[in-house]
Amino acid sequence: MAVSQAGLKQARLVTRTRGRLNASRREALWFYLIISPWLVGLLLLLAGPMLYSIYLSFTDWNLFNAPEWVGFDNYIRLFTRDRTFGYALGNTFYYTFLYVPLNIVLSLGIAYLLNKRLPGIRLFRTVIYLPYVVPVVATTMVFRWVFAPDNGLLNSFLALLGIDGPAWLLTPEWVKIALVIMSLWGVGSSVVFLLAGMQGIPAELYEAAAIDGASERQHFFGITLPMLSPVIFFNMIMSIIASLQTFTQVYILNAEPNTPGNAIVMIIPYLFDNAFRFNKMGYASAIAWVLFVIIFAFTLLVIRSSSAWVFYENEMKR
Amino acid sequence: MNRRIGTAEKFSTYLILAFLSIAMIAPFLLMLSISLTSDTSTVQMDFHLIPQEFQFDNYVRVFTTPNIDLGRHILNSLIIVVGSITGQVLVSSFVAFGFARFNAPGKNALFLILLGTMMIPGAVTLIPQFALYRALGWLGTFAPLIVPNFFGGAFNIFLIRQFIVRLPTELDEAAKIDGVGPVGIFWYIIFPLIRPIAVAVAILTFQFNWSWFLEPLLYLQDAELMPLAVAARTLSATTSAGATPMWNLVMVASMLLTVPMLLVFFFGQKYVFEANLSGGSASIK
Repeated sequence: MAVSQAGLKQARLVTRTRGRLNASRREALWFYLIISPWLVGLLLLLAGPMLYSIYLSFTDWNLFNAPEWVGFDNYIRLFTRDRTFGYALGNTFYYTFLYVPLNIVLSLGIAYLLNKRLPGIRLFRTVIYLPYVVPVVATTMVFRWVFAPDNGLLNSFLALLGIDGPAWLLTPEWVKIALVIMSLWGVGSSVVFLLAGMQGIPAELYEAAAIDGASERQHFFGITLPMLSPVIFFNMIMSIIASLQTFTQVYILNAEPNTPGNAIVMIIPYLFDNAFRFNKMGYASAIAWVLFVIIFAFTLLVIRSSSAWVFYENEMKR
Repeated sequence: MNRRIGTAEKFSTYLILAFLSIAMIAPFLLMLSISLTSDTSTVQMDFHLIPQEFQFDNYVRVFTTPNIDLGRHILNSLIIVVGSITGQVLVSSFVAFGFARFNAPGKNALFLILLGTMMIPGAVTLIPQFALYRALGWLGTFAPLIVPNFFGGAFNIFLIRQFIVRLPTELDEAAKIDGVGPVGIFWYIIFPLIRPIAVAVAILTFQFNWSWFLEPLLYLQDAELMPLAVAARTLSATTSAGATPMWNLVMVASMLLTVPMLLVFFFGQKYVFEANLSGGSASIK
């Protein structure tokens, strides 16, 4: 009896595993079927074009004749003979490394103020977030009047303080700073993330610190900042990637005859001009890959450095 | 934080916030003010932060003047926006359903690839995609702006997947026992349940496409087909003849570009904040 019992059990197990195998194979089939639109898009619109773009970056192609292989010529030319590309790189870095830190500091400060429990604070939150939803095209057009030299909004305000403001958009020294100010108008998007992060910090931490007699400053630097560091980290990566790809503002301003072009040109606008104004598709593809490497390098750098300054709560438990 | 806030601190906080709020509001006010300025003052570039003139007629002229005709451009924007939302919401949630509810060899690797694609700058695919759409004869049509949405978007798939993963599986299981297939489970059970996140995706897609500039500029070519964002900037461009643009009408266009974004924000902020925050900070399970 015992033997047949065991045999029966085994037989049941075999059929069940076989059934499960079939089921899991069917499930896998369904998985690939369901994600197939994305998979097709990945191959057709991303992987394929990326490979083609690498190839193009080693060619000379005007879109009409067949691409002509030129080896590393495009890359060598970019770094040795192309002055404008040098400006584009320099301006992009200048803009990114001025904007990103300022954005973090400013958004931290604002989020700190908005996290106080005061009547009417919700209204301030909304107002400070609003500029972020304005399309860049509209922002750029209105900021031409904010930055107007004589009766512009910013210079009129500076005049009240007795400061003689510069011709922001017309002078090479100020035009990038103007772009940074314009982008900082949209600081609200970072504020929202930081604020949500702050509200997620357990109150016990502050209570415990208060019992130990910690000051407000110690609260901020000892608790708030470390607890927020993952949010800051995420924000920093996203804003570096976005800033390195600035296009619309520069394109619109650059089309104006009085804009100091060399002081404002950036990587993507320069790529756009090469590809679609001068029909230098191969050369523009090389620019795209230089940008890819730059973005990849900075992202990696921030991620690598993060272990030194980003604090994850669950690390404590290990 | 339950500590008491002193009067001095209260006062200084309000002072700083008030100053910031004025800085945030002023450009909006300037946009509105210029949009209501008469042609005479516009030519003299006599603009004020507080409106001095109220030429509401400007808001009519942009629709009736033949070579401006913003109605046409708003319609173009709407076609692009509605097409994109349809594709993104349907396809991204379907693909997300696959990632959330099915197991298969290679799934984790594919999910990592999905996340990785979000980091790839659009610049590296811009030129080959342009060549592709040109070869397909799609230049000068809305197709290059709408069709890619029907392959789903990585970020949207990720957002929706995070949402589906948190839904209980009992309903799926029950339906499965009743013999409902995967497509049926998606359509009758999952899709109705993911409405909050689907709304968030629709709003994000609206915001992106309504303000989209580079690709429409590139692919549409024909001035008639330009969406509002591109048309507004064309209106603001100094012509080669050296004539200065009519800044009052340019600001009307900017207002028309901005107001729908504000409206969508006010009605949809609840959905978007929840989605963004859960997607942005959620750890990947």
